[in-house]
Amino acid sequence: MEAEAVMSNEVGQHEAQGAHSTHSTEIPPQEVFPVLLGTLGEHRELNFFHYHIVDLPVILYDKEYGFDIYSNIEKMKESGKYVLSTTHKIVKANKPEETPTLDLSVTSLVCFQWLAMIILLVAFFRAGRKYKKQPLKPPKGLQNVLEAIFVFIRDDVVLPNIPSRKAAYRLLPYFVSLFVFILLMNLFGLIPGGHTATGALGTTAGLALTALFVINGTAIRQIGLKNWLKHLLGGAPWYLFFIMVPIEIISLFTKPFALTVRLFANMTAGHVVLLSLVGLIFYLKTFVMAAVAVPFSVFMYALELLVAFLQAFIFTILTAVFTGLAIGEHSEHSHQIEH
Amino acid sequence: MEQNLAKLGAYLAAGIGAGISVIGAGLGIGKLASSALESSARQPEASGDIRTTMIIAAALIEGVALFSCVIAMLLAIK
Repeated sequence: MEAEAVMSNEVGQHEAQGAHSTHSTEIPPQEVFPVLLGTLGEHRELNFFHYHIVDLPVILYDKEYGFDIYSNIEKMKESGKYVLSTTHKIVKANKPEETPTLDLSVTSLVCFQWLAMIILLVAFFRAGRKYKKQPLKPPKGLQNVLEAIFVFIRDDVVLPNIPSRKAAYRLLPYFVSLFVFILLMNLFGLIPGGHTATGALGTTAGLALTALFVINGTAIRQIGLKNWLKHLLGGAPWYLFFIMVPIEIISLFTKPFALTVRLFANMTAGHVVLLSLVGLIFYLKTFVMAAVAVPFSVFMYALELLVAFLQAFIFTILTAVFTGLAIGEHSEHSHQIEH
Repeated sequence: MEQNLAKLGAYLAAGIGAGISVIGAGLGIGKLASSALESSARQPEASGDIRTTMIIAAALIEGVALFSCVIAMLLAIK
């Protein structure tokens, strides 16, 4: 859980001051919330509580300087091209108000995303190999878990929402991987010391971008480019063309945008509430506050566990619903016969 | 002074805007849940379908509320 990770970082710092008091970085009460909420899991190094594990590379692109890769943030400062501002942002050394054009750094969130990918690849390849070897043997252990998820996505998410059965089976792997990937990233944030990769706009925007391509790609493939363009008219008469076409084009992009913001905001909101509750103890500097904050945070933690599953499900089912809507009624009849 | 006034206005707008959007979303989801509950009490065999549809609709309502929260956040951060 990020809250605990960040707080224990600070506790660690406070303890260190007590022991050594070499440099005074004590955080004044009014700075507690900005410090807590400012980073929210996006760090340039990998920490497990206050144990430093590894520095992460800083990759910057700028129109003026070109590509620069540094093995850690200290190397970047030594190079003299970029410095850290007071708000911990990377800015150019000669122009303090200008940030580099692109920051492609590997952050802790990216690491947790990779971790999720590796776990899923290993788990699914192992389960898949078992099915290939002995297709008729009943599933066991991990295979059982994955099969339960797979069947749930197939029967409750994809098949009822996508009218064409052929398209549904073609898209099934996408939806299953979407669900388990989001779920695993959400759950990582609830493990002490972990970070939620879906709590960053970049991650959710990337996922929604794939949804945009799947929704429209499937629609074009199923009903043809001509029908898809006709769909942009929204079935209105030709003289409403000037109103309908812009609205329909905007609605193409608002759907993935809503998916992006929904997942991001849901995952961030929980962390913000947790951090604020724990931060109150440090803000008020009393132990009495802990009696209130800790039970509330436990409750919020349980709620977040629910939200982690719910949001993964909602992202998947909404993508499926939008895909079904984009295909439209053209293959509705075959769907009804099949059911 | 002028900058402080602008900041005050932005914070005020963010707070009030977030509050109003929460009222709207709360009303919407409450109404949705009440009618979903009613219909699944009348027809328990359709409760699975009703639940799925309810979750989708709730997510859509929530999405609109989250948009306003993002706007409020942008106002407050600026």
